[in-house]
Amino acid sequence: MTKSRPALEFKGRMLSITRVRILDENPTAIEAQLKTFTRSLGEAAEGLPLLLDAESPVGLKPILAAMRAVGVQPIAVVEGPLSEAARECGLAILTRDMISDGAPRASAPVESVRAAPAPAATPVAPAERRPARVVTEPIRSGQQIYAEASDLIVMTTVSPGAEVIADGCVHVYGPLRGRAIAGARGDVHARVFCRRMEAELMAVAGIYAVADQMKGALRGVAVQAYLKHGVLTIDKLDW
Amino acid sequence: MAKIIVVTSGKGGVGKTTTSASFATGLAARGKKTVVIDFDVGLRNLDLIMGCERRVVFDFVNVIQGEANLRQALIKDKNNENLSILAASQTRDKDALSEEGVEKVLNDLAKEFDYIVCDSPAGIERGAHLAMYFADEALVVTNPEVSSVRDSDRVLGLLSSKTHKSEKGEGRVREHLVLTRYNPVRVEKGEMLSVKDVQDILAIPLLGVIPEASAVLTASNSGAPVILDQNNEAGQAYDDLVARFLGEDRPHRFVEVQKKGFLSKLFGG
Repeated sequence: MTKSRPALEFKGRMLSITRVRILDENPTAIEAQLKTFTRSLGEAAEGLPLLLDAESPVGLKPILAAMRAVGVQPIAVVEGPLSEAARECGLAILTRDMISDGAPRASAPVESVRAAPAPAATPVAPAERRPARVVTEPIRSGQQIYAEASDLIVMTTVSPGAEVIADGCVHVYGPLRGRAIAGARGDVHARVFCRRMEAELMAVAGIYAVADQMKGALRGVAVQAYLKHGVLTIDKLDW
Repeated sequence: MAKIIVVTSGKGGVGKTTTSASFATGLAARGKKTVVIDFDVGLRNLDLIMGCERRVVFDFVNVIQGEANLRQALIKDKNNENLSILAASQTRDKDALSEEGVEKVLNDLAKEFDYIVCDSPAGIERGAHLAMYFADEALVVTNPEVSSVRDSDRVLGLLSSKTHKSEKGEGRVREHLVLTRYNPVRVEKGEMLSVKDVQDILAIPLLGVIPEASAVLTASNSGAPVILDQNNEAGQAYDDLVARFLGEDRPHRFVEVQKKGFLSKLFGG
């Protein structure tokens, strides 16, 4: 009496993709920079999904080879000058509409783009805000809470392996041990606030920092994370 | 009304079956009519630990599929008539369990028993899901190490979202922490997480701390739940656990390093 199961299961997922703009086609320069980049990220670079973009057409094959050689995964290009080359190499092509990217391109350490969970249109103007979502239960490993078009307020713990995501700000009043993502649709004014920062990752509008980048005095204390001139800044919350 | 209690953990090898066996035996010893069900279809173990492996004729899957009735499949414990065991099938896999089938068996058992203990398989897939789905309460078994704690945390998330109670809005599954294989000496050396560390992460009430003891393995191999060995610390700790579950107030033992007295030093106790 085995139950028949569907062949496919569809699930909406937030996926963090690092966007790479190809400024110089020179393979040696690209190779060198990739090496420095992956070294600086350490283990986090392993399998890192990349989205490629360029102002003018470039030969993709050597670039893809160089990227794969250092362990990162180019998976798609932004529609435009790279589209044709991407079709030849079997890469996906994402339209600019599919990428809600409000983050400034300034001196961010790593620039990332957050694909919306549903195929929604990119909000051009600031979207309408709903009342904040308040969660009183602990958020356990493997759980994902998304506050669409609002702030998210978590009264208790966010466990390691859990994700709290909001289009607005994220507030966590217990220990924050998982991932907290504010401004999921690109609001660069969103912030993450927490009473005890032990996070695996914090992000605002796609600019993120992983635990390795948030060591030292910031751990275990109350902090806020926000964007200052496009750079993710984490400050202690004491006065 | 019978209470359904799932013994679960996420991670394998942390002591779910050992805990299920001792917990059910302890409830029965206090006069509660108890049945313990092995949900680990395909990797049948509970019958070995309960010492009834030679008496398994029909199993849980036979009952679900209508090939045998409950009366035929329930195995009465040798020592305590309040206690029955429903063994898992060793030859099938977890797909043989259906939600409707499990519900029907649990409803039938509820007419006869006070407590139904569901011994969950490891993991978070079908078998584990069905073991916890109809639970009223949960014993979350955790070892004092980070991976076990994280898996337990994941299971706690499922208990609060993927159970009949939570889906139907009938309140929540009452959660209890059972910390097993606890070794205060190693905690003091920083090799193991402390009770406090684990509670800090999981934030659920502590029901019992079971000390690491070689008697647990011996008991498993001999087919007598360790709670029956009241000369042993682990057996005593399980007895405390059952008493606490039934509302008695007992202090937690075996969580501090024991200072060795002169005599025990002399006799190596």
